[in-house]
Amino acid sequence: MGNICGESMITSELLKNRAGFEENLRKLIGRPILLIELDMFALPCGCSGITANMRGLEVDDLEVFEPQLLPVIKEMAANLEVKPTVTFARLVPGSSIVASLNWRTLCPRCYPEFARGEGKMPRPDLYLLQFERRK
Amino acid sequence: MKLFVPSPGHIDSLKELLKAKDKIYSIFMAGSPDYIGTGRSNLASPQLEDIAAQTEYAHKNGVKMELVLNSSCMGGRQLTPEGYRINHWYVEKLVDMGVDSIVVADPYLVETIARDFDVDVVVSVLAFVDSPQKAEFFEDLGADSIVIDSNVNRHFDVLHAIRDSVDCELKLLVNEGCLYRCPFRYAHFNFFSHAFGPEPRPNVLDDYYYLKCLELRIDTPELIIKSGWIRPEDIKLYKDITDVYKIGGRTHFVEWILNCVNAYHNESYEGNLMDLLDCPKDLKDLFYIPNKSLGGVLEKQWMNCKKVCKKCGYCKTLTNKVTQVYTKGGTEFEALAPWETFAVKA
Repeated sequence: MGNICGESMITSELLKNRAGFEENLRKLIGRPILLIELDMFALPCGCSGITANMRGLEVDDLEVFEPQLLPVIKEMAANLEVKPTVTFARLVPGSSIVASLNWRTLCPRCYPEFARGEGKMPRPDLYLLQFERRK
Repeated sequence: MKLFVPSPGHIDSLKELLKAKDKIYSIFMAGSPDYIGTGRSNLASPQLEDIAAQTEYAHKNGVKMELVLNSSCMGGRQLTPEGYRINHWYVEKLVDMGVDSIVVADPYLVETIARDFDVDVVVSVLAFVDSPQKAEFFEDLGADSIVIDSNVNRHFDVLHAIRDSVDCELKLLVNEGCLYRCPFRYAHFNFFSHAFGPEPRPNVLDDYYYLKCLELRIDTPELIIKSGWIRPEDIKLYKDITDVYKIGGRTHFVEWILNCVNAYHNESYEGNLMDLLDCPKDLKDLFYIPNKSLGGVLEKQWMNCKKVCKKCGYCKTLTNKVTQVYTKGGTEFEALAPWETFAVKA
C-alpha cells in the first residue's frame, strides 16, 4: 500500500481525490466503503468524465443519503475540473449493488439518450443523481 | 508437505514460479476453455502445445503438472456423443503429453477418465465433498485424490470421518476466502463454468455474485473471519488428516503466489491475512487483519465450534478486536483505523 513515486500532477490529483471521496462517503454512510478504482475517461463519441468503481455502496444508500451525497459528488467533479451534464450510479439490475458512480459530460449524440424521460432510472442499470437539461 | 501451487497459465509465469521449485510438489493450471473449461475465472487459454511445453518444463524441474478441468456446469454437453468424443480426445492428448493429474468436478468425468486413462483423477473442490459418504462415492468411481469442500475445513469431526472412510489422497484448499456456506457458490461457479468454458460465453458486465459477496463483507467483515481458510501456522493441526495442501490463486501475479508458497511452506506469515486469501482480493486494500493476531483461535474456538453464530458471537467480537481499515489509501496520509470507527452496526 501507499503512494508510489513518479506519478504526474494528474494522477496525483486522482489519488488525492480517490482517498478524499472515499472518506467522505464513509463518514456519510457509516461503512468502510471502498472506492476500488477512480478513472477519468474519454470516449470515441465525444463524451468524457469520471468513473468511480465502488465496492460496498448500495442503492438504499443513494436513496436515503442523496441530498447529502450530491454536494460531495459535485465537489469531486469540481476538484477534477469536470463539468458533468449527468451524474449517475450504475447498478447491477434488480440487486442492491451500486457498481460505479459516473460523472459524464455528454456529447451531442449521447445527450438525447439521457434527456428522454423524466424518471430517476432511464434504464434498469442507471440511477440518475443529477442531470443538467439544455435550455 | 506436498504443496499444489497455481499458475496463471503461461510459460513465463511457470518459469518464475519454479524458481521456488524446492517448495512446490505440483503446479496446477487450467486448460483450454474450448473443451471442458473451468469453474473459476482464468487468465490464460493454453493450447495443447503450450501445455506440453509447460509439462515438460515442470518435469525437468522435478515438479508435477496438474490440469484443472473443473467446470461445474457443461450444460449437458458432456453427455452428448459429440461432447463425449471431444472431451475424451482432449483428455487423451493431455495424458499423452505426460500431465500427472486431472482435476474434474463432474462425477461422470471422474468415472470415465478413471476408467479409460492412466492418469490420476482428482475430485475438485467444486464437487463439494463435505461428508464421508460423498468421499466414498467418488473413491468408488475411481478418484485418486479428493479436494475436500473448504466449507468443512474447520469441521474436524467431518475431516476425520472422511479420512477414516477413504484410502485415496485428500487435499485441503488452504486460502480460499469464500463465504462460509456461501449461498452464491453453485450459481457463481456455474456462471464461471460458462464464462470460462466453450462458446457461447455469456457477455456479462458485472459479476453479481462477486460484487454482492464484497458488499456483504464490507458491511459485516466477520464473514471474512468465518471463512474456511487455514492459516499457515495452523497447518500442523491438520497433519493427521493429510499432508497435501492446495493454494488457490491462478488469477494472481506470480509474486503474490510465491508469497503464499513461502508462507505455507514456512508455516508462518507476518503480515495481513488478506494478503494470503485468493478471494476476495479487492478487499486486501480495505482491511488489515494481522495474521499473527489469530494465533491459537483455531484450537481454542473453531475446532469445536457449533456454528450457531447468532448465539455465540465469538467471531464478531474477534473481528471487532483485530480488524483495521485502511484510510486515505494511496496518499501520504494513509493510515489504519479500527473497524469500529466506521461500523455503525458493530
